[in-house]
Amino acid sequence: MKTATTASIHRHLVQLDECIWELPVGAHPGMRVPARIYADDAIVASLRDDLALEQLANVATLPGIVGFALAMPDIHQGYGFPVGAVCATELPDGVISPGGVGYDINCGVRLLTLDVRREELGQRLAPLMTELSRSIPSGTGRGGRLVLKDPLFQRVLREGSSVVVTELGLGTDADVLHTESGGCLQGGDPSHVSSRALERGHDQLGTLGAGNHFIELQRVAQILDPVAAAAFGLSEGQVTALIHTGSRGFGHQVCTDHVRRMLLYLPHAPFTLPDRQLACAPATTAEGREYFAAMACAANFAWANRQVIAHRVRQAVESILGGDHARRVHQVYDVAHNVAKEEEHLGRPVLVQRKGATRAFGPSRSGEFPGDFAAVGQPVFIPGSMGTASWVLAGADGSEERSFGTTCHGAGRALSRTQARRRVTGGELRRQLEADGIEVRCGSAKGLAEEAPFAYKDVDRVVDVVDRVGIARKVARLVPIGVVKG
Amino acid sequence: MDYRFVEHVGEVEVELDASTEAGVFEAAHDALVELIATEAGTEDVTHDIQLEGSDRALLLVDWLNELVFLAEVAHFVPRQVRNMELSDRGLRATVAGHRGDPLHLVKAVTLSRLAFERLDDVWHARVVLDV
Repeated sequence: MKTATTASIHRHLVQLDECIWELPVGAHPGMRVPARIYADDAIVASLRDDLALEQLANVATLPGIVGFALAMPDIHQGYGFPVGAVCATELPDGVISPGGVGYDINCGVRLLTLDVRREELGQRLAPLMTELSRSIPSGTGRGGRLVLKDPLFQRVLREGSSVVVTELGLGTDADVLHTESGGCLQGGDPSHVSSRALERGHDQLGTLGAGNHFIELQRVAQILDPVAAAAFGLSEGQVTALIHTGSRGFGHQVCTDHVRRMLLYLPHAPFTLPDRQLACAPATTAEGREYFAAMACAANFAWANRQVIAHRVRQAVESILGGDHARRVHQVYDVAHNVAKEEEHLGRPVLVQRKGATRAFGPSRSGEFPGDFAAVGQPVFIPGSMGTASWVLAGADGSEERSFGTTCHGAGRALSRTQARRRVTGGELRRQLEADGIEVRCGSAKGLAEEAPFAYKDVDRVVDVVDRVGIARKVARLVPIGVVKG
Repeated sequence: MDYRFVEHVGEVEVELDASTEAGVFEAAHDALVELIATEAGTEDVTHDIQLEGSDRALLLVDWLNELVFLAEVAHFVPRQVRNMELSDRGLRATVAGHRGDPLHLVKAVTLSRLAFERLDDVWHARVVLDV
């Protein structure tokens, strides 16, 4: 999808360091700040044929943006913002962009540990995977989901995952504590959520969704930072469970509604935008405030969703391994990678908008995450693709200066879905994964092929960049032993 | 009336061509059916859809979003567009299908690279779906 603009932008790209590249102001019309990309040579070269850098340059035009428009090494073309991007707009009047956060508000990942090692799991892996796929629907099935009515549904939207724990008994207080923002983005107001969004979301808690959402059982293959690993409760050979999902149709509708509202605002705005998908308004306008209130509801919905799913994981463990093991399923942490948050960075209040990017606070910000991690930094989880490794990282203090406390969120796609399907069928991929000892549960052969490992960048390479740049530190490498794909 | 999926590394991009504007909307419906339809189902159903708007590109977004909404909340698997009427004020159509388990693949219809225009004698549109 290379265009003349894409080629022109690439000509302006300057390499500042081994893994730091920059598009200066002037590389693209309207840029207010430079764009900075954390990536190695190979990742930058892979961007020549897509619109990611042009999209990043467009982000740099947003009113109120400070510092840089930033991209992580998992950058790829998205809509509006590229995936793997983060920016900060200065409060109070900097803009907030629904398309910048994305339709899957608070898509994120949660990591649980089990008290068994892979070899102890033995032949019980297959029935455990079957039980997980049975009890956690992708969205097409009707089992396993939680149907909420008011006032409980409204409380979830305002208060997040703690409601699922305190009112429904689905999890523990420790789960809530070990969730970014305590599982609640303050300011959620359901009065700014449409009836359509409420209708979509009321029976979707406890569902994965399709596409690249999954639950993966893993084995801790390598510990690189024993101190951080101990703080996170990780040990070599241990079985872990990684949940990747977001706010489902509820969040999708919230974003759809508010993008359209922002479009109505734009003709009256004192600025123009290079891309309608960036439709935005200053945070202090009614449009900006009401979007934030609705987005917070969606973020809280997503945390509640992952809380329900985590409980289903515990239930599956109880069913297959017994109650003692289920009681010792421990939540490491839960991180969001599509969200806008009011934070303070470099001495000023800003609205940080992360689109396929993860908060990665280091020890200097230990007051903002659980005390167990105070000395080592906030946990960050970087899922690879099916069949490849995932990583546990620790946020580093270098992220404060370099990336508004942010790191990457995944491997980042390298191939389109159609390209992936041309290279492998779902059946072939399933056989390959199973030959590697990975149990697969997936209802869609086409969907499986689209998520093939080769469709993604090399996650080891992506993580290597953020470690070298100093924004997050490698802690442990996890390899898959089973995947339930949405 | 034709649709094709175009290479897009992150999402699903669809290009639509038709001899009439209404044909573009029907082609969009057909593209969505290819993405979300499943065979399993119960009774045949129809849904009447009425949307307002004079901007054809945004109306296209609304059209597809409506079908995504019906798929999720009404478990509707669309199959055929009937009685499509386009005017300056918007769109009315009846969509026939069955009640079933459509794939929850399409999260939303984005505004990215959105286009709806006449090129020579052909109506051409482009839309990117978040999946």
